[in-house]
Amino acid sequence: MSSLAATVKDIFSEPGCAKNGSKSEAERKKGCTKQLQPGSAAGGCAFDGAKIALQPFTDVAHLVHGPIACEGNSWDNRGAASSGSSLWRTAFTTDMSETDIVFGGEKRLCKAIKEIIDKHDPPAIFVYQTCIPAMIGDDINAVCKAASQRFGKPVIPINSPGFVGSKNLGNKLAGEALLDYVIGTQEPDYATPYDVNLIGEFNLSGELWQVKPLFEELGIRILSCISGDAKYREVASSHRARAAMLVCSKAMVNVARKMEERYGIPFFEGSFYGIQDSSDSLRQIARLLVERGAPQELLERTEAVIAREEARAWAAIEPYKPRLKGKKALLITGGVKSWSVVAALQEAGLEMVGTSVKKSTRQDKERIKLLMGQDAHMIEDMTPREMYRMLKDAKADIMLSGGKSQFVALKAAMPWLDVNQERCHAYMGYVGMVKLVEEIDKSLSNPMWEQLRRPAPWEALAKAMMQMQSPVAAIAHDPALAEAARRARKICFCNTVDLGTIEDAIYTHDLRSVEAVRDHTNAVGGCCRRRIEDVLASSPPAGLQAAE
Amino acid sequence: MAQSAEHVLDHLELFRGPEYQQMLADKKLFENPRDPAEVERIKQWTKTPEYREKNFAREALTVNPAKACQPLGAVFVSVGFEGTLPFVHGSQGCVAYYRSHLSRHFKEPSSCVSSSMTEDAAVFGGLNNMIDGLANSYNMYKPKMIAVSTTCMAEVIGDDLNAFIKTSKEKGSVPAEFDVPFAHTPAFVGSHVTGYDNALKGILEHFWDGKAGTAPKLERKPNEAINIIGGFDGNTVGNLREIKRILALMGIKHTILADNSEVFDTPTDGEFRMYDGGTTLEDAANAIHAKATISMQQWCTEKTLPFVSEHGQDVVSFNYPVGVSATDEFLVALSRISGKEVPEELARERGRLVDAIADSSAHIHGKKFAIYGDPDLCYGLAAFLLELGAEPTHVLSTNGNKAWQEKMQALFASSPFGQACQVYPGRDLWHMRSLLFTEPVDFLIGNTHGKYLERDTGTPLIRIGFPIFDRHHHHRSPVWGYQGGLNVLVKILDKIFDEIDKKTNVLGKTDYSFDIIR
Repeated sequence: MSSLAATVKDIFSEPGCAKNGSKSEAERKKGCTKQLQPGSAAGGCAFDGAKIALQPFTDVAHLVHGPIACEGNSWDNRGAASSGSSLWRTAFTTDMSETDIVFGGEKRLCKAIKEIIDKHDPPAIFVYQTCIPAMIGDDINAVCKAASQRFGKPVIPINSPGFVGSKNLGNKLAGEALLDYVIGTQEPDYATPYDVNLIGEFNLSGELWQVKPLFEELGIRILSCISGDAKYREVASSHRARAAMLVCSKAMVNVARKMEERYGIPFFEGSFYGIQDSSDSLRQIARLLVERGAPQELLERTEAVIAREEARAWAAIEPYKPRLKGKKALLITGGVKSWSVVAALQEAGLEMVGTSVKKSTRQDKERIKLLMGQDAHMIEDMTPREMYRMLKDAKADIMLSGGKSQFVALKAAMPWLDVNQERCHAYMGYVGMVKLVEEIDKSLSNPMWEQLRRPAPWEALAKAMMQMQSPVAAIAHDPALAEAARRARKICFCNTVDLGTIEDAIYTHDLRSVEAVRDHTNAVGGCCRRRIEDVLASSPPAGLQAAE
Repeated sequence: MAQSAEHVLDHLELFRGPEYQQMLADKKLFENPRDPAEVERIKQWTKTPEYREKNFAREALTVNPAKACQPLGAVFVSVGFEGTLPFVHGSQGCVAYYRSHLSRHFKEPSSCVSSSMTEDAAVFGGLNNMIDGLANSYNMYKPKMIAVSTTCMAEVIGDDLNAFIKTSKEKGSVPAEFDVPFAHTPAFVGSHVTGYDNALKGILEHFWDGKAGTAPKLERKPNEAINIIGGFDGNTVGNLREIKRILALMGIKHTILADNSEVFDTPTDGEFRMYDGGTTLEDAANAIHAKATISMQQWCTEKTLPFVSEHGQDVVSFNYPVGVSATDEFLVALSRISGKEVPEELARERGRLVDAIADSSAHIHGKKFAIYGDPDLCYGLAAFLLELGAEPTHVLSTNGNKAWQEKMQALFASSPFGQACQVYPGRDLWHMRSLLFTEPVDFLIGNTHGKYLERDTGTPLIRIGFPIFDRHHHHRSPVWGYQGGLNVLVKILDKIFDEIDKKTNVLGKTDYSFDIIR
């Protein structure tokens, strides 16, 4: 376990991580994950993080070494679209039993690897460590090494048992495994000056494919995408790329930085969420490639494509803008970069009332401030209860969040849109932005929300009955009572002038100011000035209205 | 031979065997074969707007009607009374149809007799058939009541049921005090919903207004009970049980008029029940004293409700209430009439339905539907779809009239999702076929006959209505009440998800979206 501990420590001192860079030495030692609070609801573990980061490798067999808990609850749980093999959807696990735990699970693991090769012969096998085998001391690194030699096939240990930390840490540990065992182990058939890597893009709902045609049009080859729709061979030979784009900064920053360090591949952090972000990203890719020796004309071609795509997208969004204008949105998101979505939503005319920054770096937060203004409501960590209150108080018209927060929004009768991993629509690129706006519009116009907010009709009836019996209602229905109440309420305490007198004066002389009221009544208009203003602002009393 | 004694194939597989295929191919040669290209051209032509126009210009011909005839509704009502034998005066062939229709839908035996009029009866009148028929059925099937309705044959020659029954009693076919209510139910007027109305009115009239002059009229002494009329309904078993449950929860004394929920769902325990459950004759008579009568289907009680109202009761009618708002209205009406509160349990059920809608409405929102069926059913389902943010783009009812059309249009006008929706009264399923080609929708809601529309037009069919022959047991689940709304919601969602799966399950082509989470 010592090597795992070293890796974790290494990740915690990741210089590519802006948040980490700003910490004091003592803070850094503690690591970058917040200590989990026992008893409070928590997200996924490091195993989960590693698994979801690598699961989109489509042609690899993902073998989970552990009892049924880990794979049994998680297999095929994310719609990362594949253009080829669907082996990634198949769940492989050693399904450890009591005997394995007593005698050790290494043999079973080894056999499982052999059986996968016999049956499926994938280009590689990823073996995921989980808590139990890690605790009993199963050395999956050794097993994988031995298996690789014996079967002549890459068998890669993903050493990220759940107990080491959070999902995010797991993402990074998965990245480390790629760096250690995969990247740079094969050579591409050919290389071009237009080869790029996309790091941290997972092709959820086939999002990547919405952007890919633009790359192809520009002649830019996505040498590898880590790990959306990835094939093992592509990632293994990804070290020959000329430039890289880091798409989901939090998950795989270590991969991008270390590839720059080891293979001299420059990278930038970008996003394809939102029109401007998409344009910026394309520009940056072109710039990096040109800097690394690609012909200059790429820049012009890129600008042309950007101009065309932007015009198209704006035209498609235009009809929605008046419908969305002024609508307030609350954004609670984990993986998808919050600042880039903020920019996207503002483009559609939405007003942002808050965004979560739980997993955002300091840089991300700066960007949000830039977009939303200094007093941007950034939510570090929101409990469902707080979320509920925020929605219930109608500070937002719609909530955009991951699937888990969905039910909070629904209980608060608030329109909600899924922008996280389990979503069914792809929002990436210019096309995706139009889709997102369309979905927001659809969600806001769904008649269900009205249904949700409306109490059962018999409750409304009961309420009306209650009000009928209340003193206020009694006054409203009885002119004599109303008159008495009017006379009983003092407005000017200094000279004892009642509401009725003032109202009558206002009405008969059509008074418009406090001064005028003072002229026509005994009211002083000093300490009672505010109260008189209120009377002036309110409509004439019910009795007088009726008389008219 | 494809067929062998060891392994007997049924028609699904047998005729795919080579010798049968050869036989069918050979046979075709002698059948004035058409050029397949020409057949294809015509087939494509039937999908065009040009064909649609011709189709809608039809005046005389009805093709694939979505309605049945009056006596079917009369039989449906009659079996809902205790020990009652439906007796259809007219030709026996018609009656065989009602029996098979009801049997195939409910998967239950359907007991019903006819006076078996033949040619001579058609010439000389059916009096003798009535006399013999009543005597025979009374003696053979030992009913507590015989409810008489008519087929066209008896109506065309003008047989007078009142006089015939009187004469039969005088001739001793049945005892003088034996209950023989009747209704004239010609098929050439209205449809099965009209027959439902006529037959029910006939039975109530019989009990309330002095049994065709043989007894004093009942005097109404108002009490606290409420009468419920379900109307003609393919889901009558589930729906009436649900209504009874709701009324029990609210503590409302009630009588379900024509309660056929038992006879169409008898248990298999070794005993054949020719009659089961039903409104007792005593209850039917005492229903006159009720505070109010609620009809769940306006177009099924156009004559019955005014009749009840004339007797001094409050009457309220609904249009096949499905979904949150419609059920709300129903419960509020119950609460208003009875003075009882809606109990917490129903409030919770409401919350659950709203919750379910919220959880999955995104999948239904914006989808387009075509609906056909009885007028009330169409209205209820269309209202529910609008509530879900779906568009009931085409709503077609062969037995819908002008008043129904106007009510549907008002419903469309009340919702932003109804703006592009059209109502088609008096049209048939061949019209629907054209509509599904020229103005396509995402889903079709209708009865079993819709399966050919589904096949021809590729519009997935959601089966709600009557008759449903090719799917079993759905009539046992309610579609009314919050619980019923949930059932309809699930039914629609199942179809939506099935379709998504179907469109994404091609290995290596579309299965990148063949996800387990929807």
